[in-house]
Amino acid sequence: MMRLGAQFLIAVLLSGAALAQTRTADGKPDLQGIWQARNTAAGDLEDHGASQGIPAGRRVIVDPPDGKIPYQPWAAAKRKENYNHRAIADPLGKCFLAGVPRITYLPFPFQIFQTPQFIAIAYEYDHATRTIALNGSKHLEDIDFWMGDSRGHWEGNTLVVEVADLNEQTWLDLAGDFHSDSMKLVERYTRTGPDTLQYEVTIEDPKVFTRPWKISMPLYRHTEKDFQIYEYECHDYLEEARKGAPK
Amino acid sequence: MSKRTSILLLAAFALWRGAPAWAHHSFAAEYDANKPITLKGTVVKMDWVNPHSWLHIAVKDKDGKTVEWNCETAPPNILYRGGWRKTSLKEGDEVTVEGFQAKDNSATMSAQNVTTADGKRMFAGSAESPGASKNGDK
Amino acid sequence: MTRSACALVLFLTSGVAFGQAPATPAKAGPFKRLPDGKPDLQGIWAAGTFSPADDVEDHPVDRFQIRAGKSIIIDPPGGKIPYQQWALDKKKDLFEHHMYEDPEAHCTLSGVPRQMYAPFGFQIFQPAGYVVIFFEAFHAFRIIPLNGGPHPPESIKMFEGDSRGRWEGDTLVVDVTNQNDKTWFDMAGNFHSDQIHVVERLTPVDADTINYQATITDPKVYTRPWTIGFAINRNKRPGYELMEFACVEGEQDLQHYTAGEGAKK
Repeated sequence: MMRLGAQFLIAVLLSGAALAQTRTADGKPDLQGIWQARNTAAGDLEDHGASQGIPAGRRVIVDPPDGKIPYQPWAAAKRKENYNHRAIADPLGKCFLAGVPRITYLPFPFQIFQTPQFIAIAYEYDHATRTIALNGSKHLEDIDFWMGDSRGHWEGNTLVVEVADLNEQTWLDLAGDFHSDSMKLVERYTRTGPDTLQYEVTIEDPKVFTRPWKISMPLYRHTEKDFQIYEYECHDYLEEARKGAPK
Repeated sequence: MSKRTSILLLAAFALWRGAPAWAHHSFAAEYDANKPITLKGTVVKMDWVNPHSWLHIAVKDKDGKTVEWNCETAPPNILYRGGWRKTSLKEGDEVTVEGFQAKDNSATMSAQNVTTADGKRMFAGSAESPGASKNGDK
Repeated sequence: MTRSACALVLFLTSGVAFGQAPATPAKAGPFKRLPDGKPDLQGIWAAGTFSPADDVEDHPVDRFQIRAGKSIIIDPPGGKIPYQQWALDKKKDLFEHHMYEDPEAHCTLSGVPRQMYAPFGFQIFQPAGYVVIFFEAFHAFRIIPLNGGPHPPESIKMFEGDSRGRWEGDTLVVDVTNQNDKTWFDMAGNFHSDQIHVVERLTPVDADTINYQATITDPKVYTRPWTIGFAINRNKRPGYELMEFACVEGEQDLQHYTAGEGAKK
């Protein structure tokens, strides 16, 4: 009797996370809200000291255990070259779309919306959008996009998103970490509390890396009163600067 | 099918695809509808970009010199829905591109149709180009 | 192309043939409702006419061979924007000499209401508490909260402005403020100031048609408010999806606009 009771208690404790999940009307975990990362991954995914505009920070890479991106030798050299030229070579500097997963950990908020058929994510940075169909549809073929093609499904309390059709023109961070157009991602979004969400991404690209690798980070919900996402029309500011016009 | 019917169908096609005048008079501002041109060359590359995609072809001019021409097409979303794929054309493919020359005398043109060596002819024109209504006159 | 064929094309592409006025109910059945009883507007839609993208007023074929079209202005009755005199002079100047300053040619957002008739259509989502619209053009989005919250202060200006919505019966009423002065209504130089205030009314007519109206007020530029109206039609192609339209990344046209047209190099 006691043993059963203890087992029951353990089961209840283990499912504490499930009990804490708020759910949408169709019974799915509710991931909705305005979220933002609070780390320096946008500067560098690996352990890094401070540099111009970027605070020091720990790695968000959880696999491989040494926290280093497993580049093929040619790619490690290219990454070094990117790093040395990052002030002019970073595509974000030209106000190009940030790609995935970088869009998630830029220092700008984004809003997740959920319906039974779609997850719709609106990012403040450059008003990027991602529409994630939940209906089992296939990726488009023979085309690529800056933000890729995302299709999702639920695994328990986790939203799993498979991203394909990414072009090779984005970087993963300001430090020059890059990929090819063969990159595929599996993102996992899991609500870990009322105002936190764990974001994990497995990154695979046989042209650039020796093996798949994984990043993981918490995302934090904005709870300020009347918080909303605004607009960051990046290239307009670039054009104004070129014209020498006042903002 | 009469010419009139095919024009009617193509106009309906263009509208149905939701492809009205895009990129701001760029056709008439950049290209001359009175200067049609047909080029034979080989594919260098194709930039699948917005608001218009660009097909770069290497063309031998009358002196035997190779000139790279930039041929503007519809944007990727329109091309894709029209059956184009990134693999539709490969580097080195022989193509014939029909279109209209640029006004600024650069090696630039607005592509209307692209015909590959196997005889397949694909419509490529941006919606505001004259070909958007002419296509179908085979 | 023969003259008569040319005229036929112009007629067809003017939007008149494709029903630009608010639609009479078609064979489509009644619109669905969400569990809370509100109209279900979800899906992919596009304006029934793209003529306003060229010019919201009546317009003949212009010097750029852009097709003719009819005004979408339903008030004032003459179908013309009620500009103040200085503004009418400015519009004429923009039309004659500065058409390439159209912000859309520079890959910026279209603002409201232009985003609603910009090409390539849009997708409506209705998650709890919101109407969200993702547009294919420029990957624009509009987030329309239904919770009665306040607009941001006027010092925060945005191309797409700030939208707040509420249901009045089956009509979604959207109040749009905080727009900057950088967008145009069309390619013809029709413009506004940063005092622009737009009130939209979206009323589903049947499962495949929404009647769209927008009233535009701007005391700096117009002598009175004016209202546009057109039908929005559902895209029913099976499996149709919006695709990414990333503009600034690949824009290569501006460099070719010929100098004689007052264009940028």
